[in-house]
Amino acid sequence: MIQIQHVSLWYDKTHKALDDVSESIRRGQTVVICGPSGSGKSSLLRCINGLERFQEGRVVVDGVSVRQPGTDIHKLRAEIGMVFQHFELYPHMTVMQNITLAPMRVRKMSRAVAEKKAMALLERVGIPEKASRFPEELSGGQKQRVAIARALAMEPKIMLFDEPTSALDPEMIKEVLDVMTDLAREGMTMVVVTHEMGFARGVADRIVFMSQAKIVETGTGSDFSSARKTKGPASFWNGS
Amino acid sequence: MGILNYTFDWSVLWRDPYGGMLVKGILTTLQLSLLAWLIALVLGLAVGLCRVLPLRFTRLVGGAYVQVFRNTPLLVQLFFWYFAAPLLLPKPAQAWLYDNVPNYAFWAGVVALGTYTASRVAEQFRAGLMAIPRDQYRAAYATGLTTVQVYRYVIAPFALRLILPPFTTEFLTCFKNSALAMTIGVMEVTHTAYYIDSFTWHGLETTTAASAVYLCIAACITAGMAFTEKRVRIPGMIVRR
Repeated sequence: MIQIQHVSLWYDKTHKALDDVSESIRRGQTVVICGPSGSGKSSLLRCINGLERFQEGRVVVDGVSVRQPGTDIHKLRAEIGMVFQHFELYPHMTVMQNITLAPMRVRKMSRAVAEKKAMALLERVGIPEKASRFPEELSGGQKQRVAIARALAMEPKIMLFDEPTSALDPEMIKEVLDVMTDLAREGMTMVVVTHEMGFARGVADRIVFMSQAKIVETGTGSDFSSARKTKGPASFWNGS
Repeated sequence: MGILNYTFDWSVLWRDPYGGMLVKGILTTLQLSLLAWLIALVLGLAVGLCRVLPLRFTRLVGGAYVQVFRNTPLLVQLFFWYFAAPLLLPKPAQAWLYDNVPNYAFWAGVVALGTYTASRVAEQFRAGLMAIPRDQYRAAYATGLTTVQVYRYVIAPFALRLILPPFTTEFLTCFKNSALAMTIGVMEVTHTAYYIDSFTWHGLETTTAASAVYLCIAACITAGMAFTEKRVRIPGMIVRR
């Protein structure tokens, strides 16, 4: 579903954010990317939907090469949902308008159909009563669930999560992780940058560890649990 | 001695022909500043946008515009549009201008004030655009919206709300700066006040009247902008009064 082949990305010519990164993600898999801050996790995620203009390598999503000149990047992005650390809801629009904007403007869905669908998604993330509220009137956990609903409204084939719980209070983390867990169980292809190791162990098919712009190790959730007792990935969390 | 013996005669404000002159002056001030503000808004928003788009060419053009129009005095620009600009046109165009545009000074004033204010509006719009976090742009692009759609539906409506307060100031400045157009002979309200003084020696009354006019119009603009701010306020986001 997603092939990342020898991707390198520089910021300002001097700062290398990704250094020859390769990774392959199959349909229906959930892959968690973790590692210290500044290691390139979010940059890698943004390469998948072409939000980063990486200079070397190839990213192929569902058979379409992201940075190839002939690619309709907007069309490709419509198939890939993305959720951000700070929610990034459109503050001047209601929850309903946030969710229906892209379906109406990109998919050319009628308002009635888009709104009906949005309501169903709001039910699914547990906050149908907030449809007519504005983002700043919601709690952090509610905002993030709206952001997930907004991404799902485009019926994406892939969902990207960029530290979706890092800006949340502990009591709100669970409500967001529950939605993500359900999504993974339903077979959505997901790439998740997170520090939530509980989620990684429980849900991820694979965990990718990044450090200093490279992927340094990959493993399954159980690999991680056992490795933790000895050495390897656990060293990231100890800060060495 | 003259000041001590000064007797106020407020009737110059409505006496014929001065009353009519004042009304005309007020209307000219309004026309001049509103037309200039219209130019400033349209041009300013376009230039501000040019400066943030990821295209080297538009950034260059937008940057050059701001440098030139913001960094020279408005008075000099007025003189440029009034005295120099027509000379840059080809001869037939100059002739057409002299024959067909009797109030050229007024239009020179509109263009000068509009293009100057546009450079300031552009910078404020740019500040608004840059105040929006990068991930907000990314979030909009990530849903498949095109660049035009991203700016039209997501970025611009938000940025414009952010810059409404400084916009009020800019609007007021534009309207007060219109008084400078008297230097190229536009009969706006300040010029009219002086003009009536030259016939009647009652400049104190006329300039007082002009000041009152400015205060009234400014109060209307302030009230109008406050109303706009209130109407487009984002619930939960901007501090309630």
